[in-house]
Amino acid sequence: MSIDVPNTKRARAQAKGPFGSVGKVLDELDDRLGVAKGGRTFMDKIFPDHWSFMLGEIALYSFVILLVTGVFLTLYYIPSQDLVTYHGTYLPLDGMRVTEAYASTVNMSFAVRAGLLMRQMHHWSCDIFVGAIVVHMARVFFTGAFRKPRELNWSIGLTLLTLAIINGFLGYSLPDDLISGTGIRIAYSIVLAIPLVGTYIGFWLFGGNFPGTMIIPRFFILHVLIVPGIMIALVGAHLFLLVRQKHTQFPGKGRTEKNVVGSPMFPVFMAKTTGFLFVIAGITALLGAFAQINPIWQFGPYEASRISYAVQPDLYMAFLDGALRIWPSWSFHSFGHTIPFEVTVPALILPGLIFGLCYMWPTLERLFTKDNELHNLLDRPINRPKRTAAGVSMGVFITVLFFASSTDVIANFFHVSLEEVLIAMRVLVIISPIIAYPITYRICKELQHTPGSGKRKTANVVTRSEDGEYIATSSPVYVDDAHHGLAAVEVPRFISAAPDEESETSGTRVVER
Amino acid sequence: MTSFFKRVIVYSTLLLLSLGPVALFTGNANASGQKPYQTPYQTTRKNAGTPNSSIVKKDKNGMVITYGNSAILYKAPPSALDAIGEALFMQNCASCHGTKANGVPANGVSGAYPNLVGLGPATIDFWIDSGRMPATNPRAVEAPRRFARLTPSQALAVSAWVNSLDPSLPDIPTPNLTNANVADGAALFALNCAACHTIEGDGDALANSTFAPSLRDIPAYQVVEAIRTGPGNMPRFTGNLSDYQVRDIVKYVTTEIQHPNNPGGLGLGGLGPVAEGFVALLLGVGLLALIGFWVGERE
Repeated sequence: MSIDVPNTKRARAQAKGPFGSVGKVLDELDDRLGVAKGGRTFMDKIFPDHWSFMLGEIALYSFVILLVTGVFLTLYYIPSQDLVTYHGTYLPLDGMRVTEAYASTVNMSFAVRAGLLMRQMHHWSCDIFVGAIVVHMARVFFTGAFRKPRELNWSIGLTLLTLAIINGFLGYSLPDDLISGTGIRIAYSIVLAIPLVGTYIGFWLFGGNFPGTMIIPRFFILHVLIVPGIMIALVGAHLFLLVRQKHTQFPGKGRTEKNVVGSPMFPVFMAKTTGFLFVIAGITALLGAFAQINPIWQFGPYEASRISYAVQPDLYMAFLDGALRIWPSWSFHSFGHTIPFEVTVPALILPGLIFGLCYMWPTLERLFTKDNELHNLLDRPINRPKRTAAGVSMGVFITVLFFASSTDVIANFFHVSLEEVLIAMRVLVIISPIIAYPITYRICKELQHTPGSGKRKTANVVTRSEDGEYIATSSPVYVDDAHHGLAAVEVPRFISAAPDEESETSGTRVVER
Repeated sequence: MTSFFKRVIVYSTLLLLSLGPVALFTGNANASGQKPYQTPYQTTRKNAGTPNSSIVKKDKNGMVITYGNSAILYKAPPSALDAIGEALFMQNCASCHGTKANGVPANGVSGAYPNLVGLGPATIDFWIDSGRMPATNPRAVEAPRRFARLTPSQALAVSAWVNSLDPSLPDIPTPNLTNANVADGAALFALNCAACHTIEGDGDALANSTFAPSLRDIPAYQVVEAIRTGPGNMPRFTGNLSDYQVRDIVKYVTTEIQHPNNPGGLGLGGLGPVAEGFVALLLGVGLLALIGFWVGERE
């Protein structure tokens, strides 16, 4: 084939096609791997623009930050309970016999460049991760996004939350400082409290009696390999299902059960979400740089004979600790066995019930409402008063347990008796959910009849005429909306572009399911 | 009002009535026949903190003037202050502790107030100097630390007069922190003090309306006085901690506890995961959700 194209700059550029070198590379890739079809699906994935859909991203990107900072930490952390003599830069520990795990964590904080920043970012990120999962889950629950066909993704999300809590606890235990060692001690007691087989399981997990020399290495491999591995797989499945089943959306103009209205992945959502990733990373870095978290050098190494008062777990374990604190001291001793109900019930049965109820909820709701339809349009919480009230009730219950884990801090701060706080928590944990249900139900019912509720608010523009008359006019809903300016993007030529229907709200695209 | 709403109210009231008393009375120490804590202040045994020191200086009557070692020097309050101390005692203390400092007030009601005779000058000095005495509420379970009503020299004078009634120990300590080992202090603090005062020294609420006070603003000699005399609920550490060990603890408290380095940034009040949780939820999740609210549609 003869080359009759002149060798000029413009001609060379033209030969590459409208998308230049990148397009050329993609073209070559498509010839070999067939990435165009998947790429088209990926780039055309429609994301609803509502802000509440961003909550899950906080969790996702916190997870990314956790992975990145976590890899850094593994480079300096030594998962060993062998005793060494600490000789480092932190003088109050000088000459103390500590475990290698503790010594390496202190050294990582003081002797490694950016080590303390990474440690603190990892810890803050973890707190944000679990908090964001819960907020995201609340969004999914209250808007009914878990309904058919998305029950499986609800379960995957719940499993991710469980694993996040477990892995948070495992990671918190790794420095082997006084506070985290106390946490492991409590975990050991909880394992022992499993009726009949608790002792065996405890000895199997710890390789003997507490504390032993094996629990830190075992927690380490669980924390950095096994649990995160499962979590990455589940996050992948979570996102795959999200793409496969497409997003839910709030009802609105032009939105039906059969379509999705929103911004496509490329370029709108990609720009937005990348920016959000940087914001999340930035805020985590700021917290890591300026707010001290878990100063293990002040706590000292763990020794079974030592204890500090005012020890709370991290926020994701707080509801369990709260339940343990306020549960009455009941136990069963007979037939040569002891079943410590004061541990078994709050630490094993209660979380089992809470999570079991969460797993069962989509099924339960289908059973009660006899609603077997597919749902892609979301509910507004006020339109489902019973579900909203149940959710608020559960939220209040967990929140009271959360606060119950700081009974001593509350008592000290307000200078009231510890017992009074304890009893108040016992009463509150029962009363609050019971009161929260009818109140929420009533509020939802009342709001349903409020005219204009759920409609987007518009600005009243007041103008003064030349005669001095004031005229108030209601502005259009989408005045000054940034999405107006976005032009439709050109689709690469190797993708067979199907013309998309423009939605009635400008700038967004509608895709059939 | 719908019938459903009525049903919810009726059922929740019933549930509440049935569960409320259970929650109130289970697992409470008071319910199991134990008497609640009654005595306002624990008194200390006479001659607590017997000198285990190398240098004991006595006057010609055999009375101890100073004792101690290179770590802590204990000094009896000068007897010249007795007269001033007596006057101050009559003004500020006698209404409860009685004119003889024996815990029997003038109206004859006895038993409620501690007998101060033979407690040693360090005890008297600590209670007055830390502002706990004169108490705001003499019947309260605990006298909290507050601004001292008497000056340090007045406190010394009162302790001089009370000591003159029955000279006893421990005397008023002056720690010398020059050769103190802060690492030993940290280890001893974790072993002996952290169980109540918390590992970061912030103090916390204990059982039966008592509190372990914060150690953030305590002068060195008061730390020694507290360790050696055991005020309130606190155990009296005498035989198990040498003067050298006490000095190490004092060094750790006055440096690392009171002026922590906080290389990680803001200390967040030393409240640990409680404060951290609030920061993570409000500044982390909350702020990020707000930014998401800003980025996304608000339809």
